[in-house]
Amino acid sequence: MLTFQLLALAGLLAGLYGIYIRYIETKRRALPADNSPLKGNPSHGIAYAFTKGMMPWAKESTRLHMIAYLRGIGFHIGIFTSIGALLISPFWRNLPPLLSSTLIWALTIGALLGAAGGLMRIIEHNLRGLSLPDDYFAVWLVTVWMAVSAVAVWNEAWMPAYYVLSAITLAYIPLGKIRHCLYFFFSRTFFGKFFGRRAVFPHPESMK
Amino acid sequence: MTETIQLALKTLEAQLNQPLETALEACARCGLCAEACHYYRAEPKVEHIPAFRAEQLRSVYRYEHDFLSRLFPVWTGAKKLDEPMLANLTEIAFSQCTLCRRCTVNCPLGVDTPLMMRAIRAMATASGTAPEILVMLADAAIEKGKDPSFYKEMFLEQIKEMEEQLRDVTGDENATIPVEKQGAKILYVPLAGAHTILPPAVVFNAAKEDWTLSIFEASNYGVFLADVNRAKQVAKRIVDEANRLGVKEIVIAECGHAYASYRWDVPNWFAGQFDFKVRSLIEVLGDYIREGKIKVDPTAIPEGVTYHDSCNLARNGGLIEEPRYVLKNVAQDFREMTPNKDEAICCGGGGGLVALAEYAERRIAAGKPKADQIKQTGAKVVVAACENCRLQIGDINEHYNLNVKTTAITDLVVRAMRLPKPLPGHEAEYLFEGEGAAIARE
Repeated sequence: MLTFQLLALAGLLAGLYGIYIRYIETKRRALPADNSPLKGNPSHGIAYAFTKGMMPWAKESTRLHMIAYLRGIGFHIGIFTSIGALLISPFWRNLPPLLSSTLIWALTIGALLGAAGGLMRIIEHNLRGLSLPDDYFAVWLVTVWMAVSAVAVWNEAWMPAYYVLSAITLAYIPLGKIRHCLYFFFSRTFFGKFFGRRAVFPHPESMK
Repeated sequence: MTETIQLALKTLEAQLNQPLETALEACARCGLCAEACHYYRAEPKVEHIPAFRAEQLRSVYRYEHDFLSRLFPVWTGAKKLDEPMLANLTEIAFSQCTLCRRCTVNCPLGVDTPLMMRAIRAMATASGTAPEILVMLADAAIEKGKDPSFYKEMFLEQIKEMEEQLRDVTGDENATIPVEKQGAKILYVPLAGAHTILPPAVVFNAAKEDWTLSIFEASNYGVFLADVNRAKQVAKRIVDEANRLGVKEIVIAECGHAYASYRWDVPNWFAGQFDFKVRSLIEVLGDYIREGKIKVDPTAIPEGVTYHDSCNLARNGGLIEEPRYVLKNVAQDFREMTPNKDEAICCGGGGGLVALAEYAERRIAAGKPKADQIKQTGAKVVVAACENCRLQIGDINEHYNLNVKTTAITDLVVRAMRLPKPLPGHEAEYLFEGEGAAIARE
């Protein structure tokens, strides 16, 4: 088992290193200074971008596609649960039964939501038109990983397969579309700075 | 690789800063941006999804920069840029995106697709494939700045004529349109045409403002080309004029891209040499009304009035409540479009599209969602504080039989000032009530 655990650890470290390299490369690029006089507050804009601005009712797109958005949120919660579960995987056997079954349910729901997303990419015309092989691979890889995580928590016999899959998934993060997990933070920060400076978000009227 | 492609790629590399790389990397291709785009709303197809458009540039970026894409280009859709691809990119950026940023505010990740469209526009401009008319207009403005004496005499003559009209409509023999007035507080920068000079002149005179008229126009076609070098040269004319006259403030006519560029970009382009406050004429109008510097009759405009938020003024410029304050003071029956403000739908005329005759059909088709919005309000007057928006709304008015009148905010304010005589071209709108007319003269 130690070999498989070390393999998963290697995958995790490779993934983290890859993301770190991406982070450094992006940070090395120029960041244009903005000397235009403030109307609003960029810090408030950034805070908004990561909080109220992420609420399902904050945007027309998420209001129109509430179920798809909530599915995505649930899927991503499942992914983070899966990463957390991996970190404590050597101690799964010692978990209280309630926590263990909660973990299984969370991972199963995450996997189901992932599968729904994967199917939507195949069925839905627009999503199919936008999708690249990388998109299909990424969503199914993570979905299967979550599903196998749930099974492995339930049945120890799946642990070797689980660790191998963890290694592949984690090592793939910086290589394909999953690296948007890093750029999400850059993107929402720039969004907040831009619209916060101009007093568009948060709208001054909404702060009264 | 041809020289054109080399230039295009070199321009992409030169622009690749943190925000652009982020925009190129962050998209999860979830497709939630689809309905945010007026092109998609008007004609729902994959090619009109902002993420799809951005993907065309991403494929080039990945080919040049991504490890996995170099090994397995098909896996990530990476493609080597060639001339047909550049032509396709150029067409997308200049004819299928008005840079309105509605997709950005609707993206769960906040991906700045217009930033990528600007990058493509810059690539096209640098490689000589951008629409010629935009290049010509930008270059003509630059030339005008180099030697204004060529047309200045004619301009001053026109201003003299306008001054006569100003005195006639206001009944004020001392009303003036000062040009190149040294030490004035405000430098007002109009657009081409008397319609952006005479109404503001009425207001400035009524408010007894210390102002002077710029000899240049606010439009900047360099901005549409995403060519910072050209855009800076166009802007420099006004920056130099403001410095020469020693004004405190630059006030921009009702123009979306000009306001956004002078308010938010020019201070960065001329860091250290730009010490002016920049305001839109709309903000100035609001202040005059608030401070009682001009008197407006709130009953002067009884017909239903709706306001179209120019993307450059509202979503990209932060002027959201200011126009509404003015309109609510002059219009009895003000009706909001739905959605509005930061969620407003683009009219389809932004990004220089109204200047590109070859894309007129596409532009008018993309204006359908705005036409539907206008119809739903039942308003008879559509106010837009941007010249390009007004031109586009005028076109969709005709095409979709909206039967509305399109006007600027200043025109309505002047109408609510109840001048003794109407402005030229506005005769039909005026209700000549003796009492009302007196308000403006007090």
